[in-house]
Amino acid sequence: MTTRRLALNAAATVTLLYLLTPLIFVTWLAFFRQEIPSFPPEGYSLHWFAAIFDEPKFVSGFTLSFQVGALATAIGLLLGVPAALCVTRFQFKMRAPLASLLLLPLIVPGVVLGTAMYVFHVNLENTLDVDVLGTFYALVAGHVVIVMPWVVRLVTTSLAGVDRTTEEAAQNLGATAWVTFWRITLPAIRPGIVAGALFGFVTSFGNLELSLFLVAPGHTTLPIVILQYLEWKIDPTIAAVSVVQILLIAIAMLITDRYVKLARIV
Amino acid sequence: MSLVVDKPKGRGLTASALLAPATIFIVISLFAPLGILFRYSLNDFVPQTKTMVEALTTVQYVKFFTDPYYVSALLTTVKVALISSISCLILGFPLAYVLARMQSRFKPLLIIAIVLPLFVGNSVRAAGWMVVFGNKGFVNASLMGLGLIHQSIEIMFTEKAVIIGIIAVDLPFMVLSLQSVIEGIDRAVEEAAFSLGAPPATMFRRVLWPLALPGILGGMILTFILAMNAYATPFLLGGPTFKMMAPVIYNEFTQKTNWPFGAAVAFILMAVTLSLTLVANLLIQRRSTR
Repeated sequence: MTTRRLALNAAATVTLLYLLTPLIFVTWLAFFRQEIPSFPPEGYSLHWFAAIFDEPKFVSGFTLSFQVGALATAIGLLLGVPAALCVTRFQFKMRAPLASLLLLPLIVPGVVLGTAMYVFHVNLENTLDVDVLGTFYALVAGHVVIVMPWVVRLVTTSLAGVDRTTEEAAQNLGATAWVTFWRITLPAIRPGIVAGALFGFVTSFGNLELSLFLVAPGHTTLPIVILQYLEWKIDPTIAAVSVVQILLIAIAMLITDRYVKLARIV
Repeated sequence: MSLVVDKPKGRGLTASALLAPATIFIVISLFAPLGILFRYSLNDFVPQTKTMVEALTTVQYVKFFTDPYYVSALLTTVKVALISSISCLILGFPLAYVLARMQSRFKPLLIIAIVLPLFVGNSVRAAGWMVVFGNKGFVNASLMGLGLIHQSIEIMFTEKAVIIGIIAVDLPFMVLSLQSVIEGIDRAVEEAAFSLGAPPATMFRRVLWPLALPGILGGMILTFILAMNAYATPFLLGGPTFKMMAPVIYNEFTQKTNWPFGAAVAFILMAVTLSLTLVANLLIQRRSTR
């Protein structure tokens, strides 16, 4: 019995280490003293973290990614939360197909979605005679498509776990639909909303395939800046950028975990 | 059952008001673009002037399947996706099992450790593998330090590097979908098999495997789709000569500006992925109805 457990735990540890290997090594590289990623390191230094700020493209990439992610998440919540309410709280004929329609963007390949939106934006630009492709709002609109399914999915799951009798009790006591939603339903599904917002934001922040087609040259998101840098070389500066990103996402996840148990939603 | 008196007309209106914005948004920004893309894939292209010509022809699709270069890209993609998906299952099962049966307060931390790599982006993870695989990277330096090799071996820019990278990208999805299914399997079923004298291998084959089958197939489909569409990992770890479908599509669009052909390749990728997924889905349904 114990040897069996030991073997199982060993196998699980190997997989976990495999998963974490790229993160461990990119973190290690960020602290190297020399610029070339050769082992063993000649010494350790922190100055690559300061070097991030010498490259304006990292800072502007981060800013753009953050703005796009925040706005896309806000719009995704505005569209997604009501939609999730509708598909869980109302019975109507087209319910099931419409519910899966809202999740469809999750299974369309990123690069196909990217090319499709690219030609769509070019088409819009030609018919409407306004700038579309490469503009900030077109990029946000594209990201909403991949953010909203996460909101719908996690809020739907959350709503399914809410006891409806409380809502009915409130309405029997004379509360309007709006008051019932605001005072009963919303507090109950707050974990789902927080989780949906987090997953949506992180999806948008890390998205590469869609942004590749939709950004204007010279004004790109952080994942594209990182990709283009890596195509050219790997050095401690890009590793330091990666470490900052890993830390921010880890903190965001730890905070979310306090509100809603990640074990229950992923 | 509801105690609240339903007012059908008012409710219908509320329902549409709640659902309409999201639905209209998806239709406009998903179906319209895909429709236009499909229409473009039936157009013709003049290479000399790099312009698209309005037409109704399947010439782009024929070009793909008659050019060995593109066919081999498709075959490489399917092969890499299959290997990755199967490896994810083998590597992911023990971790998913341990996670599902875990009671400790460290469980959330373990989940974060599994989900974190998922969220930091494929480029960052590719950067990590570059440090490991490079000419003077960790693997080469360690092997040389041990005296096992005298010349650095090429790992970067090979199919191996791409597969290792893609497995790491897809593993969290496999672990999470297996974990959720295993958590639903009553521990008592396993105990019963053991107390009836089944060795662990038999218990796994006769009890755990069949009960976890929906999660196994679901996880394999998910990882297969993700691997088929991988962009950053083959681009960064495979180098310029390694060809998978997603980088090919990007290249056709941006470098060669051949929109009709790029569109056709995009639809071929989607069709191949969806039909292979559909076959797997049929297999699941047949299993579960039996």
